[in-house]
Amino acid sequence: MKSGDRGILSEHDLKQTSNKIVYGIMVLVICAMVFSMLYPILMMMFNGLKSNTEVNTFPPHFFPQEWHFDNLKQAMNYIDLFSYLRNTIYIFVGNMLMTLVVLGMASFSISRMNVPYKKAIYFFFLMTLFIPASSYMVPNFVNLKELGLLNQYAAFWLPAGANTFYFLLLKNFFDGIHPEIFEAARIDGASEPRSFFSIAVPLSVPIFATLAIFIFSTAWNDWFWPSLVMHSDDKYTLATAIYKYVINVKALNTNIKFAILFLVSLPPIVVFLIFQKFIMRGVALSAVKG
Amino acid sequence: MNQTAVVNENPGAQMERKSSTPQRNGRWKKNFWGYMFLVPAFVIFILFMWVPILKGLVYSFYHVDFVSGNTFVGFDNYARALTDPDVLTAVKNTLYYMALCFVLGFWVPIAFAIAISELRRFGGFVRVAAYLPFVVPGVVLYGLWRWLYDPVGPINALLGTFGIDQIAFLTDTRWSMISLVFMETWQQFGSGMLIYLAAVLSIPRDWYEAAEIDGAGVWARIRHITLPSMRNLIILMLILQVIGTSQGYQSQMALLDGGPNNTTLTYALLMVKYAFTKLDYGTATALGMLMFIVLGGLGVLQFKLNKEDN
Repeated sequence: MKSGDRGILSEHDLKQTSNKIVYGIMVLVICAMVFSMLYPILMMMFNGLKSNTEVNTFPPHFFPQEWHFDNLKQAMNYIDLFSYLRNTIYIFVGNMLMTLVVLGMASFSISRMNVPYKKAIYFFFLMTLFIPASSYMVPNFVNLKELGLLNQYAAFWLPAGANTFYFLLLKNFFDGIHPEIFEAARIDGASEPRSFFSIAVPLSVPIFATLAIFIFSTAWNDWFWPSLVMHSDDKYTLATAIYKYVINVKALNTNIKFAILFLVSLPPIVVFLIFQKFIMRGVALSAVKG
Repeated sequence: MNQTAVVNENPGAQMERKSSTPQRNGRWKKNFWGYMFLVPAFVIFILFMWVPILKGLVYSFYHVDFVSGNTFVGFDNYARALTDPDVLTAVKNTLYYMALCFVLGFWVPIAFAIAISELRRFGGFVRVAAYLPFVVPGVVLYGLWRWLYDPVGPINALLGTFGIDQIAFLTDTRWSMISLVFMETWQQFGSGMLIYLAAVLSIPRDWYEAAEIDGAGVWARIRHITLPSMRNLIILMLILQVIGTSQGYQSQMALLDGGPNNTTLTYALLMVKYAFTKLDYGTATALGMLMFIVLGGLGVLQFKLNKEDN
């Protein structure tokens, strides 16, 4: 609370008893919220380090009574986490490149280059926003099948270039760059591709980073669509494999289950904690504008 | 600014050199790269957006068979979709789900955004904590909440200490949908909260100062300054939520597969089941078209409001 030294409440308000009580209740509710957010996630981590009997005791303990770090090793051996991780990274990197090149160029063209019928072309891209995504999910699958793309990474990479939200984010960003920069480059004899790749792209690192976060979290979280498109075990993404082989399996010991869940959620949590300021600003800025 | 002024002396010379080619050729050259930059996106959008959308329209009139070819069946798919008693159940469940998401979920991020904006200390930490579940992959949360909701899990343990009887959160037909909505609210309110928080913090502080001098109490300030300033954002978020929840199926599918006794079978989940369990892609596309007819207007509305907001 740096800005202006006051919020809705002023220092004076906080001197009144009734306001003090309300403020106190508010702080308590926020504390309860924070607890309810952190407790299950920490519980998941600690459960992964307990013995199986301890996980199933009632009422549950928070800290393990004996620490079983060998659970993590068993978790690694249960399914080949690294091969699923590799598949997930493949999809992320390919999607990122497609977004960067295809949508980056298209939005740059609409935003900063000379194209007749710009409005019409812009609308062509935009119109897909009005169609609810689930309503063409099934034909989308049928389409991929008819194109012979099922069970191939291209089934993720190519459609990644057809994302209207990312297109709009990029266009808004390019709109915000001063046109003089590109005028100057043009006049100095830079070709259009050159001014895109050596001027626009380096200037767009912030928006690409925001997109990287979105694309990463989609690749990391999406379990249903990959489970349809990929139908061989060695192509599943991490989330799909977890859904198929961990969540829905009854025979697996609960502590090992939690150890796997812990291992899978650790990387995104670590990435988030490192880049939290940046990520949260990105969410606040782009979630609505998208 | 100085730089551009200097550089601007050049264009004349540049233009002269270029205009030696015929006028038409020059215009083509001028627009060439603009078009070339659009071509890949154009192709991709047609292949992976417009073709599926149009195929959706076409295939809703076909029996889709990958082996022996598609056959035209007229309105059969629509007839099947509209006479299936499950469709009525699914529509009811979806409306119930949307209502629950509104009642249990919609106000939560707004309330917390206003509350957190008033924190004098630890605001950053609270934001991180609230957003944390959004970072954890959905599948992991499904596994986690199955355990939390277990009849002998932590939530029932907590309720037990207050003397409340065990609740079968997931398998009791009265609780199943409520439990799902509660889980989703827990998982997702953090991102909504950050969006609202940005709006709350952008309200000029001196408005509150002025209101206070005029004698407005705390609640009056929230009611007459904070909430009206966020009005457009709240409406936009409401439309986004309606669009999102009307198509919801993933947690219903992952945690309960539509059960118990079809109480969590949403419309989109029924569509998914028609396609990928019954392999009846024709009827599934017909269900998708019906969904488009009902929801199509919402997208336009959202776009218009979004434009006004910016």
